[in-house]
Amino acid sequence: MVDQKLLVEEAKKIIAQEDVKYVIGYKKGTYGFTISPSYAYTPEYAEKFIFNPLCAKNLASYPILEEKLPLGRDEEEDIRKIGIVAKGCDARSLIQVIQEKGLKRERVVIIGIPCTGVIDPKKIKNMFPNAKGETDVVEDGDNYQIKINGETNEVPKAELLSDVCRSCESPNPPIYDVLIGEEVEPPEMEEYKNLKELEEQSIEDKWAYWEKHFERCIRCYACREACPLCYCKECMVDLLSPQWVRRSVNISENTAWNIMRAYHLAGRCVGCGECERACPVNIPLMELNKKLAKDVKELFDYTSGMDLEEKPLFGTFNPDDPEEFIL
Amino acid sequence: MENLVIKSEKLPEMINKLIKDYLVFAPIEENEYSTFKQINKAEEMSLEFLLPRVPTKALFFEQTETLFKFTPGRKGDIKPIEFPDKERVIIGIRPCDARSFTMLDPVFQGDFKDPLYNSKRKNAILIGLSCNKPEINCFCTSFDDSPASSKNVDILLTDINEKYFVEIVTEKGEKLISKIKTFFESASKEDEEARNKVEEQAIKSITRKMDLDGIVLKLDEMFDHELWYNTAMKCIGCGICTYLCPTCHCFDMQDESTLDEGARIRVWDSCMFPEYTNHASGHNPRPARMNRVRNRVYHKFSYFPKNSNVTACTGCGRCIDYCPVNIDIIDVIAKVGET
Repeated sequence: MVDQKLLVEEAKKIIAQEDVKYVIGYKKGTYGFTISPSYAYTPEYAEKFIFNPLCAKNLASYPILEEKLPLGRDEEEDIRKIGIVAKGCDARSLIQVIQEKGLKRERVVIIGIPCTGVIDPKKIKNMFPNAKGETDVVEDGDNYQIKINGETNEVPKAELLSDVCRSCESPNPPIYDVLIGEEVEPPEMEEYKNLKELEEQSIEDKWAYWEKHFERCIRCYACREACPLCYCKECMVDLLSPQWVRRSVNISENTAWNIMRAYHLAGRCVGCGECERACPVNIPLMELNKKLAKDVKELFDYTSGMDLEEKPLFGTFNPDDPEEFIL
Repeated sequence: MENLVIKSEKLPEMINKLIKDYLVFAPIEENEYSTFKQINKAEEMSLEFLLPRVPTKALFFEQTETLFKFTPGRKGDIKPIEFPDKERVIIGIRPCDARSFTMLDPVFQGDFKDPLYNSKRKNAILIGLSCNKPEINCFCTSFDDSPASSKNVDILLTDINEKYFVEIVTEKGEKLISKIKTFFESASKEDEEARNKVEEQAIKSITRKMDLDGIVLKLDEMFDHELWYNTAMKCIGCGICTYLCPTCHCFDMQDESTLDEGARIRVWDSCMFPEYTNHASGHNPRPARMNRVRNRVYHKFSYFPKNSNVTACTGCGRCIDYCPVNIDIIDVIAKVGET
C-alpha cells in the first residue's frame, strides 16, 4: 500500500521548488475505475494526487511528448524540471530514454513508487462494466477490495493483475529522487503468459495467429503514442519519401507496421505494457515485445532500462556477441 | 404501419433467408469485442456486445477505399472502379450509430456527391437494434435521442425477451419485410408495452449527460482559453478518438503503386496527427497538440452546428471509453459550460 498522504506531501515539496515546472501524477478519472494523468503546477493541484493499483498508465512518455508552441519575440523557453510519479517499470523506461540520450537525467525529478503490480483496466472494466458512482480499489494481501458505491467486493489479485506484472523484473524503481515508502519484495517472476506455447508453434501457426491479430489493427498509432520509448521525432511509418509503410490499412501494411515497431523496441522495451493497454482492438502486442526481450536476454544477457551507466544494447559491441544470423 | 414481432429463435433463419438475396452485414465477435462485417450465415452474427468497437460508419466510409486504378508509367491509363450496386442489409445497427448518418450525409452528399459513399448508402437497408442495457458512458439522450429510437433506421428491432418487437419505419423497410413476411406475427398490446418498458428502462439507466446549452456561443469566446492547453497536456496524440468516432470523416488520398499496377486510395485520417495539417512548405498551422485537441472539440461542437445545424456527436461514448488518458468529452464540454 502506498501512503497517499506522503505522496501528496512529497509532490507538494517538489512543485514548490523554483526549478520545477510541474509534477505529473495520477488523479481519479471521470467515470468508473478510470484514472487520469494529472499535472500539478502549484502545490494545491497536488492535493488531487492519488496512487492505487489502478494507476497503470506509464507517465514516462510525457516529458518527451511535451510540445511547445512557437516562442514569441522576447519569450524564453521554459527549461525547468519536470516532476514525475514513477513505478518500477516507469522508472526503467526513463532510464532507457536517458541512456539513449533522449532526455537528460537532471530534467526530471522522479517520485519513485514501490509497486506491487497494477490492475489491467480492461479486466476490471469487463468484471464491473457498470461501476457508476463512488469507486475505489484497495490492495489487501492477495486480494483487491473493489468498492462501488459503498459496497465492497473482494476479488483475488490474480484475476485482475496486469499480465505484464507477473513477469516484472523490477517492482522498485531503480532510480528515484524520493521514494514513497519502503521498497517491496520482488515477487516470483513468471514467464510471460503464453510465450512458451507461442514459441513451440509451427511457423504456419504463428503466421496465422498474428495475421488474425494484425488484420484488426486500425493504425491509430495509440501503441506508439502511449509508448515511452517510441519517441523518434519522425516515425518511419509517417515518412512519405521514402514510404516504408503504405497508408492502406490491410493485412500486409499492418503487419509491416507492427513488426517494424516491435523490432525497433528490441533491447529497449521495458515491458510496462502501455502499448497493449492503449490498443483499442486488443492486439496482444506484449507477446511480441516479451519474446524479443527474452531473446535479447538469452543472446546478450541484457535487460533494458536497469542501470543509468549502462550503454544501450545496440550501441555496444562485444567480440563474443552471437552472430549466427550473419550469413 | 402495423407493428410486428418475430420470435428470437426465428431470427437466424430470417437472416439466412436475407443472405440469399442481399449482402448482409452484422456485428461479429472479434477478440472480446464486436465489429461489423459481411456475414455468410446467421451464426456468424454476435449480439453479445452493445456497440461495435469500430463504428458502423466504416461500412459506408471504409477505412481504405480504392478510388480508381492505373498503370504507372508514361503510357499509363486510368481504370475506373465499379461502384457496389447490390442491395445491402445492415442488421443490428444501434440508434446512435444510425444517427451518425445525419452528420455524414451532409458531408458526403453536399456540394460533391461522393459516389463511393452514396452507392452504399443508397443501397443500404438499416435494421436497427434498440439498446436494452446502455453502458457506463452512453449519453445519446443528451441529443434528444433514445436508445430505442427508430428515427434513422428503416426497421427497428427491440429485444422484448424471447421475441423482437419490429417497427417498420420507412418504405424501404416495408418492402424488405414484405419479402420475408412469413417470419413475423402481428404485435399485441402487451408486446408494445414490453417494448416501451425496454425503452423506458434503458433511458433510465443512462446516467451521463452532456449539457449543450449555449455551448456554440461559449466556444466563440474561448478560443484562447487555458482549458485547451490543460486538456492537451495529457493527450498523447493517438487516433483512437477520431477513428472510433461515428461522425469523424476526414481522409487522406495517396497513390500506391507497384511496377505494373497502381491505385489511388483514400484512407481515414485523423486531425490528432501532426501530419494532418502539415504543409508541403514544412509549416504546420496546428503545430502543437493543444491546437489539435481544440480543433477536434470545435469541429464537433462549433463548426459543425454552424455549418450543418447538428452537433457532430451521437453520444455513443466510444471516445471516452477508449481514450488511454481519460480525456472525457462530457467533462470537456461541462468545463466549457462552466466558463
